[in-house]
Amino acid sequence: MSNYPLPSVTHVTPLTTIRRERVLPIPGVVTVRVNEKVQASHIVAEAEPAPRHLFLDIVRGLGVSERQVSQYLVRHEGDRADAGEVIAGPVGLARRTVRAPADGRIVSISRGRVLFEVRGELFRMRAGFPGVVIATDGTHSVTIQTTGALIQGVWGNGHMDYGVMRMVGAGPADRLKTDQLDVNLRGAVLVAGICDHPAPLHQATELSVRGVILGGLASDLIPVVQRLPYSVVVIEGFGELPINPPAFNLLSTNVGREVALYAHAANPYQSQRPEVIIPLPTSRDVGFPDEVVPLRSGVRVRVIRAPYHGEVGIIQKVLARAAQYPSGIRAMSAKVELEGGNVATVPIANLEVLQ
Amino acid sequence: MNAILDADTLLAVDVGSVNTRANLFDVVDGRYRLIATGRSPSTVGTPVYDISEGVRMALDKVQTITGRRLVDEAEELIMPVTNEGTGVDVLVATATAGSKVRTILVGLMPGVSLQSIRRLAASSYLEIVGEIGLMDRRREEERIDLIVAARPDLILMAGGTDGGASDSVLQLVETVGVAANLLPGGKPVRIVFAGNRHLGASVMECFGERLSVTLTPNVRPSLELEDLAPARIRLAEVMADIRTARVSGFSELEQWSRGNFMSTADAFGRIIRYLSGIYGPDKGVLGIDLGASQATIAAAFDGMLRIAVSSDLGLGTSLPGLLKHSTLADVMRWMPVEIPEYRLRDYIGNKALHPGTVPVEMDELHIEYALAREVIRSALSLAKREWPMNKAMRSSWLLPPFEPIIASGGALARAPHPGYAALMLLDAVQPTGISTLVLDPYNLTPALGVAAGPMPVIPVQVLESGSYVSLGTVVAPVGQARHGRRILRLNLEREGNGQDMSGEIRMGQLVVLPLAQGEKTRLTLRPERGIDIGFGGPGRAGALRVAGGAVGLIIDARGRPISLPKDAGQRRELNQKWLWDIGAIE
Repeated sequence: MSNYPLPSVTHVTPLTTIRRERVLPIPGVVTVRVNEKVQASHIVAEAEPAPRHLFLDIVRGLGVSERQVSQYLVRHEGDRADAGEVIAGPVGLARRTVRAPADGRIVSISRGRVLFEVRGELFRMRAGFPGVVIATDGTHSVTIQTTGALIQGVWGNGHMDYGVMRMVGAGPADRLKTDQLDVNLRGAVLVAGICDHPAPLHQATELSVRGVILGGLASDLIPVVQRLPYSVVVIEGFGELPINPPAFNLLSTNVGREVALYAHAANPYQSQRPEVIIPLPTSRDVGFPDEVVPLRSGVRVRVIRAPYHGEVGIIQKVLARAAQYPSGIRAMSAKVELEGGNVATVPIANLEVLQ
Repeated sequence: MNAILDADTLLAVDVGSVNTRANLFDVVDGRYRLIATGRSPSTVGTPVYDISEGVRMALDKVQTITGRRLVDEAEELIMPVTNEGTGVDVLVATATAGSKVRTILVGLMPGVSLQSIRRLAASSYLEIVGEIGLMDRRREEERIDLIVAARPDLILMAGGTDGGASDSVLQLVETVGVAANLLPGGKPVRIVFAGNRHLGASVMECFGERLSVTLTPNVRPSLELEDLAPARIRLAEVMADIRTARVSGFSELEQWSRGNFMSTADAFGRIIRYLSGIYGPDKGVLGIDLGASQATIAAAFDGMLRIAVSSDLGLGTSLPGLLKHSTLADVMRWMPVEIPEYRLRDYIGNKALHPGTVPVEMDELHIEYALAREVIRSALSLAKREWPMNKAMRSSWLLPPFEPIIASGGALARAPHPGYAALMLLDAVQPTGISTLVLDPYNLTPALGVAAGPMPVIPVQVLESGSYVSLGTVVAPVGQARHGRRILRLNLEREGNGQDMSGEIRMGQLVVLPLAQGEKTRLTLRPERGIDIGFGGPGRAGALRVAGGAVGLIIDARGRPISLPKDAGQRRELNQKWLWDIGAIE
């Protein structure tokens, strides 16, 4: 039993082994093999997520009795049929037939009716980052591994993309502005500080950028960002929150490299977080980042709520007794030496490990 | 005899989405008492993804406080109590944690079986992703598409009174069966049928052996009668199965609890219904559990329980859902300090990202409590739709009288002063007449609810033991009067050596009279004409014996509903004044 608190862990690490499982929303077909090298845009699996169904009334269509239906069927349960192909018939002088209304498959036949599944648009799952396939179950999931830098965020708009990283603005707290965006950034992944206006986001759409990495996003822009065609990863949260210094340093030292953005929303019940992966080949063995880090002296942390929201520091001491705060609330706390030298007492609930 | 009847030591574990609590109860002087409580962050999600670690950390805190060993070297619970006094005799458990169960509701008639199945669903932690009824205009294949696209974990069906409709029910069963068989593999759907009992065999035959189907007693045995309780028990069992399959650690906790495991909402509701039996039919009993992922409102009227779990209302991950029911302006009206609207919106987004964080600065505390008011108000307004209307509910916005009003939840429990919790409840609930506000700071109610079934003595003894905090008796006069006009005269005759007191209350006032916890007084109230305090009509006077509380005797004459000034500055001043009036700030 651990005697130390176990806060959530956010990875901001310059070189690590990154292993990610990509899972289809429903079972389908995996198109890669184990040990196969894949690129970010490589389709690793595909499936038909939401097919449409139609009942084809054979009794009425052919003008026969329910009992006679089976003798006129030319396609059977499980058979595929292209649009216009005969499913049942012909019957009589008029040579009545029932044809497939679209490309699809016969799901079931009962009481003189055929349940026909119309093939939906194929969902194609991409690798997201270059790496090697290390496992697959053949129908549902593919696990890909690479080495590189990893920067995890807190929020994403649901997309996934890959491109060359470019810095816009002067620093981690700089606001994203339209005049910073020009044609040289076409197709790039942009690193900016804070975004509080929709105009630069729309201008980035015009430039066909692949993604934007932000420290803080004004929360009233959430609906706008959710409609954007490119990936947006928010590193800190909502509001005027600059990218934390370790993450910004890591991003700025890798400008010009290709980066992968996985901008899916964090799911507290799965190990899924929005993140930036910068693939970096290495000849040496690098381990996996720790997923569970007890909070004790020397551990690097990030404050996730005001005051000091977004600041990074080192745990000096986990206090044995609850501390009282200006709000009057008492909470189990730790003394944190923040970057810049200040020592602050912070509720443990307001800290996460930055690893 | 059930093991719990012989037990002396009871350990209750509640696994929430943010906190895991362990409460140890033992017999002291022949009565059950809360001995120690341990709280730790829940580990259902990142980084551990196993509730066991959070449970063990909470148990560790109880061990540290009491010096009593609860788990052995192998980290197994010691049960029963050993000769050395280690371990516990019985463990009961409740849980809300885990991702929500995606559910499709299927019923026949909108006002009958569909309504009953909605009520059944509202009492549990379900996320309703679709609804199918006989009267909706969808074609059969569209209904199939709806189910397939929604990819539910659970399909909850009702329809037909016992011995009533059969063809139309079986038609729906067939559609659901076809769709359930089309759901992609790897995600088995559970089906619960709570309709016409006479169709049990046909329903099972229609669904076939491939699907996992549970039959429960009919939620609507006749048109006039709705009976949710038996179906609720079976539904809870199915939910437990789903939860155990998808969250690590639940099976171990279930093993430890040996069947004494309930959903937090069911256990919470059980105590509210139980209290309704004790307090009698004159008033209802209201329970409010304000969690991070959901708000639960349990109201019992003469033994009849109505539970409503609002899964899109909570003070954590579900907080953005508040803006579907309420507006930022609605939240801002409760703020005693000025903050820009964008900051409130950012706060909501950040709190959803980090639900376990606590407010450090005063402004943030005010934001959190303003949000809590609106979450409770929204949850109450949804729950109220299913309450029986009676004469006391004179209009749609007025609550029926409740005695007591019990509230729990992290935000209330950690209030820096009882006045904050009391004012939050008064603003959010706006009780009418005379009620008692009771705070459950250790979240004991669900624990007592699980233990109550086999051993009714535990809730009785613990409720009387002082583990609950009475915030005070509230007198809330109802009626129209000009602001500042006298509406009530009162007289307090204290029992013991205290000083008697008399005075008058004016419209718009919030007054707290000192009356400490455990102190009793005889309170005589004489309302003015047109003012009702629950003594049988407007203007009717009466006397009663009331007990004190952590805040005191509260006279809330601010009117119902509370009307706030349109001017933002005046409104903030008034909120600040009320905090001062109730003693939250000095």
